[in-house]
Amino acid sequence: MVDETKHGIDCTEFEALLSDAMDGDGLSAARKQSFEAHRHVCAVCGPLFADAQAGREWLRSLEAVEPPAHLVHNILVATSGVVSRRTLPTRADGRTTPLGERAREWWDSYAAPVSAFVRQPRFAMSFGMIFFSFSLGLSVAGVKPKDVAKVSLRPAVVRHAYNDAQIKVVQYYDNIRFVYEIESKVRELKRANTPAEPAEQKQNPKNNTSGQPEQRQDRNYSQDYNQPVFAALREAPPAVSTTTNRRSV
Amino acid sequence: MEEAQVVGLLVRRCVGGDAAAWEEIVQRYHRRIYNVCYRFAGDSDNAQDLTQEVFIKMYRTLNTYDSGKGAFMTWVTAITRNLLVDHFRKTKGDRITDSLDSTASEHEDAQPLSERIADGGLAPDAAVQKRETREMVHLALQSLSPELREAVILRDLQDMDYREIATALRVPEGTVKSRINRGRAELARLLQRTYKQVI
Ligand SMILES: [Zn+2]
Repeated sequence: MVDETKHGIDCTEFEALLSDAMDGDGLSAARKQSFEAHRHVCAVCGPLFADAQAGREWLRSLEAVEPPAHLVHNILVATSGVVSRRTLPTRADGRTTPLGERAREWWDSYAAPVSAFVRQPRFAMSFGMIFFSFSLGLSVAGVKPKDVAKVSLRPAVVRHAYNDAQIKVVQYYDNIRFVYEIESKVRELKRANTPAEPAEQKQNPKNNTSGQPEQRQDRNYSQDYNQPVFAALREAPPAVSTTTNRRSV
Repeated sequence: MEEAQVVGLLVRRCVGGDAAAWEEIVQRYHRRIYNVCYRFAGDSDNAQDLTQEVFIKMYRTLNTYDSGKGAFMTWVTAITRNLLVDHFRKTKGDRITDSLDSTASEHEDAQPLSERIADGGLAPDAAVQKRETREMVHLALQSLSPELREAVILRDLQDMDYREIATALRVPEGTVKSRINRGRAELARLLQRTYKQVI
């Protein structure tokens, strides 16, 4: 970036003020004026401001996502090993779960396959998205559109590939649905046979969670952007294996 | 009681062996940590594993947390970030193929019920478009360098202030600001460039 003083501030100063200026506070009136003046005349900083502002808008359009329902349970099993009723619908002491909780469990058994289906990303993926992730990959890999010109993008060919993907998705969905149907039938049968089903919570053995302090500091993704980082850079492996059990609900 | 006091008390109870206090900490923070991990790692499976690892690490080192040295959330973010560094180094090789291979954003569907109902009133195209825009942003985010990615996640998605981010990342505030600026701008350029090709 050329450091050219325009309207009292140079490009380096402009960049330093950029985030504060976008937050709408932290700049004095005079400073704000110099900043705005520089923005309007500088061919580098003007576009930088526009891009940063657009990027911020895109980012803020992303909403918080809800973690999977079993995450807290899994974390507790992997740490203290103590899971209270608040987290777990079935009780650890072997007594029957209250009716309300059993009803919820029943509901979950039906709702889960539906939400799992809704969350299938590939199923909802449109042609636009497929093409977007394709071109994004190329952009990132540094491939220019003209390099791809030789690749066949005739509508018929692309449509064929898209249809293929869809057929696979539908087949996958059908398989999954079949499994869920069997599962819920089995559950129904089990419930019919054992009205007061005892809780079958598995108390996983405690992971070693002795409070040994372990502090790893000042870590970076790499020394240099283009330099490979070798495994040797990692410090001694932690004493405890941190096996995660995402699927054990 | 203030948030800091509540958390301070919970931590003390937890270090003293109170399992209920630990559960309360997990309940309070798992969403935030999961969201940071999800936006950084790109998919739900990795985000779940990473979140779990963060809590395992927290559980083991909770007695080293010093409230005098900063907010609990900053401490938690520092732990999270260290694990993200490890994760990034481990998975570095397969990142490009990942972004080609997956839509990565199973969550853009899992919107709140109220919104799903509201969306029902929209023309289906508009709702789909809105979701796809978010998916594109999420995918583009994965293409930023990890330094820029974590900076914009903490600032624009987690609303942390510059000082907190600087403490969690152990870099000067000026560096944080510069990474945020570059991260935002690069994301916008990437999206604009790719958008033009799609439309
Ligand atoms: Zn300038």
